[in-house]
Amino acid sequence: MPGRPSDPDSAIVPFSPMAEDVPLFPVRHGLKPPIFRVFVSWSRGSHLQVACVCPRDESLEEKADGDLGDEDVGGKVLEVKLGTSDANINEAKRRWIAYGSVPPFALLQGRRNSLAAMSRISSSSTFIDWWKHVLEYSQSISELLGNTRLQSTAVIEDPKLVLERVGEPTSLKAAWQLIEIFYVDRHSFSGLAESVVDWLAEFDCLLSEKDTTVSSKLVKLQEQLVNLQVIEDDPEYWEGISSALSVGWLEVVVKLLRLHGSYQLNQLDSRETENGLVEAVAVLVSTMPCLHHDFPAGKLGQYYRTKPDFVKAWEKWRGQISKLDCSAFWVQCGHRQTREGLRNLLQIMLGNINNISAAVFHWIELLVPHLLFIRPLTAGFEEFQGLAQKCMQIKFNNTPNGLVRLFIGILGENTEVVLAECSKSFGPWMVTHCLELLTADNNQNKIFLHEERYNLGGISILELHRLVYAQVLASHPLTSQIAPTYLVSCPKQGLGLLEILLCRQPVQHHQIILKNLEICRLYELDGISSCIKKIAGIYHWKHGRKGAGIYWLQEARDEATLNHIAHHLFESIGRTISDESFKQWEGLIELLGPDVGSAGGLGFLHTYRDFKKSLKLVESGRTSDVARQAIEALIQLLKSPSTPQRFWFPLLHDSLKLLNWRERPLLNVSETNLLLNKLQELSMAKLRPDFCSTELQPNVLSSVRLALARNLSRAFLEE
Amino acid sequence: MAGSGGLQYYRLPQYKSVDVVRWLRPLSAFDRFIAAAVHNPDVVSSAAIEIFSLNPKPNTENPDHDKLLNLRSSWPSPSRITSLRTSESSRKHLVVALSTFAGSVYFLYVDPVDASIDLELSVDEERPLHSGPVSAVDIQAGGYECVTVGEDGRVNLVSVCQATLESRVLHDSRGLVSYTAAKWGSQEEFATGGLGFGLQWWDRRKAGGLVSQFKGNWAQGSMTGLVHSIDIYPSRNHICVVGGSSGMVLAWDRRWQQQPIFLSGGGLTGTGQATSESDVWEVQYDIGTQTSGINSAPTSKIFPVMMCSEDGILAVVEQGEAPIELLAEDCAINSFDINPQHPSEVVCGIEWESIGILMRQRESLSLLTET
Amino acid sequence: MERDLATLEKGVRCCSWNYCGQRLAVGYADGSVAVHDSADPSSTFSRSSKWMVHACGIMNIVWIPPEFGDAIACLCVDGTLSLWEEVGEDVHSVSWKQCKVFECSDPRVLEVQFGVSSAYLKLVAAYSDGRVKVYELLDALDLNKWQLQISPIQFSQDLVFAFFDTKFKIWEFEEARQRWLPVAELALTEDKDDRVHAVAWAPNIGRSYELVAVASCKGIAIWHVGLNSEPDERLPAEKVALLSGHDGEIWQLDWDMSGMTLASTGGDGMIRLWQSNLNGIWHEEAVLDCCGGQ
Repeated sequence: MPGRPSDPDSAIVPFSPMAEDVPLFPVRHGLKPPIFRVFVSWSRGSHLQVACVCPRDESLEEKADGDLGDEDVGGKVLEVKLGTSDANINEAKRRWIAYGSVPPFALLQGRRNSLAAMSRISSSSTFIDWWKHVLEYSQSISELLGNTRLQSTAVIEDPKLVLERVGEPTSLKAAWQLIEIFYVDRHSFSGLAESVVDWLAEFDCLLSEKDTTVSSKLVKLQEQLVNLQVIEDDPEYWEGISSALSVGWLEVVVKLLRLHGSYQLNQLDSRETENGLVEAVAVLVSTMPCLHHDFPAGKLGQYYRTKPDFVKAWEKWRGQISKLDCSAFWVQCGHRQTREGLRNLLQIMLGNINNISAAVFHWIELLVPHLLFIRPLTAGFEEFQGLAQKCMQIKFNNTPNGLVRLFIGILGENTEVVLAECSKSFGPWMVTHCLELLTADNNQNKIFLHEERYNLGGISILELHRLVYAQVLASHPLTSQIAPTYLVSCPKQGLGLLEILLCRQPVQHHQIILKNLEICRLYELDGISSCIKKIAGIYHWKHGRKGAGIYWLQEARDEATLNHIAHHLFESIGRTISDESFKQWEGLIELLGPDVGSAGGLGFLHTYRDFKKSLKLVESGRTSDVARQAIEALIQLLKSPSTPQRFWFPLLHDSLKLLNWRERPLLNVSETNLLLNKLQELSMAKLRPDFCSTELQPNVLSSVRLALARNLSRAFLEE
Repeated sequence: MAGSGGLQYYRLPQYKSVDVVRWLRPLSAFDRFIAAAVHNPDVVSSAAIEIFSLNPKPNTENPDHDKLLNLRSSWPSPSRITSLRTSESSRKHLVVALSTFAGSVYFLYVDPVDASIDLELSVDEERPLHSGPVSAVDIQAGGYECVTVGEDGRVNLVSVCQATLESRVLHDSRGLVSYTAAKWGSQEEFATGGLGFGLQWWDRRKAGGLVSQFKGNWAQGSMTGLVHSIDIYPSRNHICVVGGSSGMVLAWDRRWQQQPIFLSGGGLTGTGQATSESDVWEVQYDIGTQTSGINSAPTSKIFPVMMCSEDGILAVVEQGEAPIELLAEDCAINSFDINPQHPSEVVCGIEWESIGILMRQRESLSLLTET
Repeated sequence: MERDLATLEKGVRCCSWNYCGQRLAVGYADGSVAVHDSADPSSTFSRSSKWMVHACGIMNIVWIPPEFGDAIACLCVDGTLSLWEEVGEDVHSVSWKQCKVFECSDPRVLEVQFGVSSAYLKLVAAYSDGRVKVYELLDALDLNKWQLQISPIQFSQDLVFAFFDTKFKIWEFEEARQRWLPVAELALTEDKDDRVHAVAWAPNIGRSYELVAVASCKGIAIWHVGLNSEPDERLPAEKVALLSGHDGEIWQLDWDMSGMTLASTGGDGMIRLWQSNLNGIWHEEAVLDCCGGQ
C-alpha cells in the first residue's frame, strides 16, 4: 500500500522502510516453465488479473510424442488478490466488519460536515467536544470487532477453571482499543494507566505467538491443575499466581490461592497457620485499592474515583502488607513453597522490581505492574513513555509482532510508524478507520494527516488511505456498493475515482445498473449516470434486446444514437409491415412513448404505425373516415422534420390508393401542394451523388405524380 | 437487535450474498421454514438454495442469533438464482420454483416436516428456456405450473409432467420487449411487467395470450422506469399492485385501465406520498395489517401494500394514508416475504449479506388470519 | 491469494480484457480469436466463442470503448487490422461478426489504439513506415464506417501518443484547427536512441498533472506531464523516476484505477508493482513470480 513512512529517525525502535526486501509472491498457475508471456490487467480495484501463457508448440514437437495429454493447456488466467491484511480474520468476517463500519463512519463524516457548516455561520468553536463524537464512533467500531471481555460471572462455577474467555480476542480489536486509549481518551490521562491495565487483561494472549506470556503460562497451568495432587508443592503453581498478580488479575490470583491444599477440610487442623497466611494474602489481594473511573461489577479490588481517597487507601493497604511481611507467623509455616510463594506475592504487591520482573515475560507485562504497584499515580504521557522505555530495556523482545510494534509506534509518537504498522499488520480497513482516532484530539496529527502533498498528487495522507481502502472495497462485487461512502469523504480525488469505478461496472444485468444509478443519484453524478445508461443501451441494442436498448438510450437522452436507431427501425418496420410480425413491433413502439422530445428521433415511428394501421383498415374495405385518418397521419409524417427523407417516397407509394380515392378527394389543396413539394424535393435529391435509394423507380414515381395531380384538380373543383 | 414500537427485529449475518428470501408453509403450525437463494462470489459455483427453520420464540433476554435460524437443507444451483417462489403441492410437498442467470428453471420438492429436499425437477439444461437470465418466475397455487419471463422477451409456461418439467413458449418478442416481473392472477391468467412501467395481462386460453396492456406513460413521459414486482390478490384479481423504479408503488385496476392509483412515489402528480425515491424491489399485499374483513371491503379498495427499497426502507403504504415505516436499514433490502400463515412475521434479504427477521406484535393482526 | 479464472488452449499470442474485466479476448498463433467471459462478477470465465480471424497469427487485440458495443480490433502478424463485433438482429442470433478490414500488406499496421473525444470514436493506427493514421467513426451504431482523419497513439481525453520508434512524443488534437500538434517529448537528450517498448497513461482522478510510464531498455521512466501548456504550446514534462527491475525487455505496463500502482511485466517472467511513497519516491512494492509453476 502506498504511504510508507518517509522518516524513520524519531522512533524508539528504528523503523527503516528501505532495509526491507521487496516481498516476493509466487503465482501458482500450475503451468510448466518456461513462460512465454505474462499479461496483466487491473480489473476493478486491487485485484490483478494475470494471464500466463506457455510458449508455442515448436519446442514441444521436438519431444517424443505420446506424453502430450496434459500439455494441451496453453495458458492460465488467474485473479491475484493484493494487499496485506490481518491473516486471522477470514474474508467473510472482513466483509462483515466492512459493512458494519459504514454507518458509524458515515455518521461521523456527517457530523463533521454539519459542524463545519455551523462554524462557518457562527464562528464559535464547536470543535471543542469533537473527541466525544469520535469516542462514540470508536466504541461502535469496537463493538463491531467482537465482544471479548473476560466473563466474570459464570453460571456454573468450575472451581478449577481459572481463566475463561467469551469468544476469541483478535489483534484487530486489540490494536483498535490501543489507539482509542492513546489518541481519543488522551485528554484525561488519569485514565491512561487503568485503560492499559484493562487492555492487557483482555489482550495479553496476543502479545506473542511463540514466546511465553502470562496468559500462555496460565493456560498451561490450567491444563495441569486437573492432574496435580499436591498443588502447593509445584513451583508452576506459585509462578502462575505471581504472574497473574503482577498484571493485576486479582480474580485469578484469589481463585488459585483458594485451591491451596491447606483449605482442604482434612488438613485444616495440621496446617492452620499456613492456611491463615494464604487467606491473609488472598484478602489483601482482593482488597487492593484501584484508581478507576467506574466500578466494574463483579471484580475484586477496592475502587476509588478520586486521587486523595485512593492515596489514603493505598497507604493503608501497603501498611497492612508490610505488617504481614514482618509477621512472626512465617516462622511457624512449615511448608517452604507456601512460605516463599506467599512472601513473593507480598513483595510483588510492595512493588519490588526484582520479584515482578521475574514473574512477567513481556515488556508490556512489566509495564502494567509498574502502573499497579510501583507508580500507581502515573499521570502524564511523558512519564508513561519513560516507564515503557525502562521496561523495554529490561524485557526486550526480539521479534515483536504487529500489535507490539504498533504499541511501540504509539509510544514513540510517530504517526507514520503507527500508520505503517496498521497498514502492514491490519490492512487498509484499519488505517482508514483509525485515522479518525489519530486526528481526534491531536492538532499536530491533524496538520500532518490533512496537509495536501504534491507528491501524492495534491491529496492528504488521510485522503490517500481512504482512496486505497475504497479500491479494496471495489475489488469485491459484494463490497463495491459501500466504496462510494468512503470516496465521497475524499475532498480532492474521491469523486474522480468514483466516476472511474462506476464507468467500469458491467451492464449486463438491470439490477447492477440500477444499483449503480442509485449511487449516481445520491451523489449527483448526472454525467456518469448517462454514461452508464448509454453503455447499457448500446449493449442491449447490439445484443438483440432492442426494447431494453432503446429504453436505456432514452433514459440517457442520447438523441444522436436514437436518431440512428430510428433509421434502422423504420427500415425494419417498412419491411415487415405487411407481415403479421408487425405485431411484434407494437410493444416496442409503445415503449417509445408519445413524447417526441424524450423519444429522440423515434417519435415519428408512432405516427408511422398509426398510418400503417389505418392503411390496413382501408385495404380491408373500411370507410372514408378511416382513409381520412390515414391521410392525416401521412401529412403529419411528411411535415415532421424528424421523418428521414428516404422514407418519403415509400410513404407516398404506400398511400397511392388514398390519393386515388373514388368517393371524394381526401386531400385539400394545401395538403396536395405539400406532397407535391416533397415529391419535387425527392426528384431533385435523386440528382445528387450521395442519394442512395434504389426504390425510386421512374414508373412508380410518375404514377404518384399523376395521382397527386388528379387529386389537386379534384380538390380545386371541390373548393 | 430488538426493535421498538411493537417490532422485534433480528439481523442475522450469513457471510454470503442473500439474493431472495421466501417462507415455506410447513405442515405443523409451530414450524417456520425459510428458503433463501444465496451465493458467495469467492467460491466457484456456490449458488444455492438454503432452507432454514426459524425458532419463532427466541429468548429475548439473551438472543443467541446463531440459534434463531438453523440450516436444515441446502441444494446447490448450477447458476446464480434470479427469482424464487414457493407453493404447496397436492402431493404433500412444499414446492420451490427457482430461476437462474443461465436461463433455466428448477422445481424443488421439500418435505413439509423436516424440510429436507426430496426431489428436484428441471427443464432440459441443454436448451435453456431463456437466452440470458430469467427475470422472474411465479408458481401457481398447487405447485404444478409456473410462468417465467425474461429480458429476451419470452413468456414461458412450465408445467410438471411425469417427473420432468415441460415448457411451452406462450409468447416470444425476440428481444423487442423485455419482461422483468410476473405474477399469476388466477388459474388461467397472469400479469407481467417490463420496461417503461409497462404492464401486460395474459390469458393462456387465448391465442397469443395477450389480453390487455397498460401503457408506460403513467408519469407523463418525464419519468419512466422498470417494473420490479407485481402482486395480485386472488379474490380481486382486477387490481395489480406494482413496485418499480424511483420509489413507485401503484395499483392498476383493469376496470379503469388508464388511471393508475399511486400509493407511493409518482413524482409529478403529487397524489402519492414518496416513501422512498430509489428502486422498490418488491411489493406484497400486507394482509397482516388489515383491520376489517377483506370480503366486506368495497371491490375498488386497495389493501395496504408492503414494499422494500434500495435505500433500505421496509414500509406499509396505503391509499390516502401516511406510510408506516417498519425498518430503515443502512443498506438495500433486496427482497422480503410476509409469512402467509403468520402475517406478523416478515423475512428480508439484506444487501449486506444477512437475513432480517421482523416480528410485529400480535395486536396488529387481522381477524381474518386468526380464523 | 490467487483464484483460477480460466484455462487457455495452446498457441496463445496475446490477451486483452474489456473495460470491466469480465470479458477476455485471446489471440492465437493460428489466426483464431477466442472470447472468454463470466456471467456475473463472481464466477469464473468460460469460453463463449472462438472463430478464425485471419490466416496468420494474431499479434494484438484491443477492445473498443464500451459506449460503442462489444467489439475488438485484431492486429495480425502480417499487419492486417480487422474489427469484429458481437451483435445480433434479435436475442437468439447474437454472434461475432466482422465489421471492417483495414488495408493491409505494406506498410504493415504495428499498433492500434482507440480514444473517445466528444462522443466521437477515434482509431489510431501506427504503420511500419513510421506514419500514423487517425480514423474517425462516422455512425456510432455502425462500426463499418470510418473516415481517415490525419496523422499519431493512445488517447487520454484528447491527448495522443506515438511510440513506434526511438522517439516518444505526446500529440494533441486541436479541435479548432483540425490538426495534430506535438506538445511534449518524453525523452532526455541522452536517452534519445532508446527504443520504447510500452507506454501507459495513469487514469487521472484529480491530479494537477498527468502521470505517464514509459518503458525502454533502460527501465521504466515515470513522467509528470503538466495539464496546461507553456507559451510555446508545449506541455511541461518532468521525469520523476527511472525504475529498473526486469532484466530484459518490458512487455506491458498497466496502471490501476486510481493511478497509484503501476504493474509491469517483462522478460524475467515477473510482475512487478510500483508505488510512490509519501515523499514521492518511487519504489518496488511487490513482485509476483510467474516463472515457478508449482
